Amino acid sequence: MSATASNQSTGAEGGASGSSEDAHQDSGEYECNICLDTAKDAVVSMCGHLFCWPCLHQWLETRPNRQTCPVCKAGISRDKVIPLYGRNNTSREDPRDKAPPRPQGQRSEPENNGAFPGFNFGDGGFQMSFGIGAFPFGFFASNFNMGDTRPPAPGPETPQAAEEQFLSKVFLYVAMLFIFWLLIA
Amino acid sequence: MANIAVQRIKREFKEVVKSEEVAECHIQVELVNDSFTELKGQIAGPPDTPYEGATFNLEIKIPETYPFNPPKVKFLTAIWHPNISSVTGAICLDILKDQWAAAMTLRTVLLSLQALLAAAEPDDPQDAVVAKQYKENHPIFLKTARHWANIYAGGTIREDDYDNRVIQLKNMGFDPHKARVALSTHNWNVERAMEHILNY
Repeated sequence: MSATASNQSTGAEGGASGSSEDAHQDSGEYECNICLDTAKDAVVSMCGHLFCWPCLHQWLETRPNRQTCPVCKAGISRDKVIPLYGRNNTSREDPRDKAPPRPQGQRSEPENNGAFPGFNFGDGGFQMSFGIGAFPFGFFASNFNMGDTRPPAPGPETPQAAEEQFLSKVFLYVAMLFIFWLLIA
Repeated sequence: MANIAVQRIKREFKEVVKSEEVAECHIQVELVNDSFTELKGQIAGPPDTPYEGATFNLEIKIPETYPFNPPKVKFLTAIWHPNISSVTGAICLDILKDQWAAAMTLRTVLLSLQALLAAAEPDDPQDAVVAKQYKENHPIFLKTARHWANIYAGGTIREDDYDNRVIQLKNMGFDPHKARVALSTHNWNVERAMEHILNY
């Protein structure tokens, strides 16, 4: 009889301590892993660990070369943390205005339609089309001469030298015409 | 000191004091001054190691940049261990250097040190003499570590033959600690230990 009574009492104690532990865990669940206080300007890493943004920012600043999660050492970076916005956020100011700014939420854009941005002729303007104009030249220059050992330059007075000079002038004029055409097109 | 460091230490101090490891006398932390910049730690030697039953005191200094940089920890109690200097008590442990992470606490540091006592890394030594003995004369290393733990840290297992050799040198007028270091360094060969003391 006494044994059952003691069992009951220990059972009740166990239950009570369990509930108080639960209450404690509830308060600890939203603590920053760095300052151990309730997270302010909360952000969460991709590995799921909660921090105050100012704390995490300082941690990332402390070791810019080796950015790892302070809890699990997974890779972490400024662009890969997600801010948490509660509903009853009484302060109306944008948290990103605070220093250090909290990174923005990530909205992944739908798939890009063009593979190479240089091919967008429509909205590219001068710089875009110039990039395209130069592209084949670079291509020719880098590919068609590759591996060729160039013959030694001919002597100055030979007919070969004159011919080469003429050719190079022709190519220069063609190139200038081409660039001019690109400008007015 | 930066406010965040003080806040952190205050919270951690409570955490360690409340933790079940303290209740089981495995680790302990005491304040040295009121500014929370310096603490005294204590760890129990882990079971099934030469350090079993011994208690080791640690000096813990909290840098201003804590917790973004690790606390500076060293052994105040002399210890014979490959990763702890037998002369200065300096510790070679990655989490106290480049592997530190801001979410680590005094509690995890002390538990890591306890784990270091149980699992030495002789290939990354702090004390080369101890590491060499650990690898080449492991039974002597175990006895030496037990002897040091018994003499300096309250370990319960006595190594009578080592005690006797230290007493032998002490009776010849040598300082007992120096004699113990020399004997430990030379695998408890009395003649070579004497040469060592006389030459240095």
